[in-house]
Amino acid sequence: MLHPHRTWSQALMTALPDEPRRALATLEFLANDPVARAQVGRSPHEVIHRQGKSALRYFAPASGAEPSAPLFITMPLINTWAIFDLLPGRSVIQALNAAGVPVYLLDWGRPGPEDQALTVGYLIDTVLVRAFDRARRHARARGGEGTLDAVGYCVGGTFLTVALARHPGLARRLCLLATPIDFHLSGRLSRWADPRTFPLDDIVDGYGNFPAEMMRDSFAWLRPMGQLNKWRSLADRIDSPSFTELWAAMERWSGDNTDFAGEAYREYVRRCYFDNALVAGGWNLNGRVVDLREGLAPALVLACSDDHIVPPESAFALASLWGAPVRTETLKGGHVGVCVGAELPRRLCSWAAEAPAA
Amino acid sequence: MAAPDANPFSQLGTDLYKQWEKNMTTWWDQVLDSPEFLEAMGKNTAVQARSRRKYEDGMDEMMERAHLPSRADLVRIGRICTLLEERLLQMEDTLLGMRDRVDSLEKETLEARIEAAEARLELREHLARLQGRLAADVAPVSDAGAPAAEPAPRRAKGGR
Repeated sequence: MLHPHRTWSQALMTALPDEPRRALATLEFLANDPVARAQVGRSPHEVIHRQGKSALRYFAPASGAEPSAPLFITMPLINTWAIFDLLPGRSVIQALNAAGVPVYLLDWGRPGPEDQALTVGYLIDTVLVRAFDRARRHARARGGEGTLDAVGYCVGGTFLTVALARHPGLARRLCLLATPIDFHLSGRLSRWADPRTFPLDDIVDGYGNFPAEMMRDSFAWLRPMGQLNKWRSLADRIDSPSFTELWAAMERWSGDNTDFAGEAYREYVRRCYFDNALVAGGWNLNGRVVDLREGLAPALVLACSDDHIVPPESAFALASLWGAPVRTETLKGGHVGVCVGAELPRRLCSWAAEAPAA
Repeated sequence: MAAPDANPFSQLGTDLYKQWEKNMTTWWDQVLDSPEFLEAMGKNTAVQARSRRKYEDGMDEMMERAHLPSRADLVRIGRICTLLEERLLQMEDTLLGMRDRVDSLEKETLEARIEAAEARLELREHLARLQGRLAADVAPVSDAGAPAAEPAPRRAKGGR
């Protein structure tokens, strides 16, 4: 309500200065190219194994922290791993290390044209399984027992689930974050990945790999207004240095997609999106059918309340398919935002500290 | 930031934006989920992908005619490198497996030697205990049967 002694013009004058000031501050901020200058994934680590473009990264726990069983994290194949180590203080890995948890992270790398023939079977049964083996050996050499708990995020979680169903001894426990299992419940993505309209074969035959730019644009178009809101939130909170730092880091990461190896993409979309094979069955991988009932590791499934890429019902579908007990929980946030919030690191640390079921 | 109702223009702008955003979201939802849009997008993407394939094939053919390595050649070489790396890693797997077996054998041997040494120690201790007991048992007997400090004079033969 207007104060009776103020006129509309006075009100207008007091209203205008803040809006243009923030607009100018936003332009000034963007003119300094903050996205290009943002540095993500800075936690110290060593690469202990490489295969092709993939790398197994080891993040040592903080000295003096109570030692805990190591975690093996499988990242998605469509982005870089840095979302789990975006900025100091907003890093899942940093929080785990501070709690005494050694982290092994499988970074799938950036596939090139020479990798277009790689299949899902190769990526799971060879690359992922071998990375587990190297992580276990590394942990044993450091005095540990060599047992690992596994964490998978998004598509990385789907691959991890399939791997643990086929090789139950790989990990003692499993935690999945925003991992699609029932792909027909994956919202708009599942409607877009309709075999009648999505030219899967043309794309893979034409481009070799599924291009990173196409991936980035597809995700942006899932929520067109989200792009606008991104800029609006920047202008609204331009006075907060911590927000602008986070904004630039998120932009840096979200614009840094990676190609998806062509044949693996063809098989992944056909089996998971077209056939929904993790639920319906019948996915023959390297001569053996994928059957989630063969999974023996107790699982914790974490979904995000505002996830437009993997809705909770898609992730929670594991509960009725997995061969071992499954707990389901919902965290506040979106598919990506959850990784830079405080709730996920806290939950992962408490899960890592839980005594394994006898 | 000003309180929401401190400035009516600011509040009006926010309300208008929210309404516009809601309308636009509804409109985009209808467009992005409509079968006609998806079909058109699919066809468009397919045409782009096929054009890309033709362009790549044309470039490869041109490079071949110029007796220069084409992109396809380089991809083939890269793939061979990947296969070779896989072979090397398989050998590494084998070597690591062998080392595991050697380590396990060494561990077993070591454990067996430790067990044997422990058994010998136990035996030795047992023996020592037995010797102790024997000594303890024998001592009173020998004390009793042992000659006195001054042995009794032997009775003379035939003496009474």
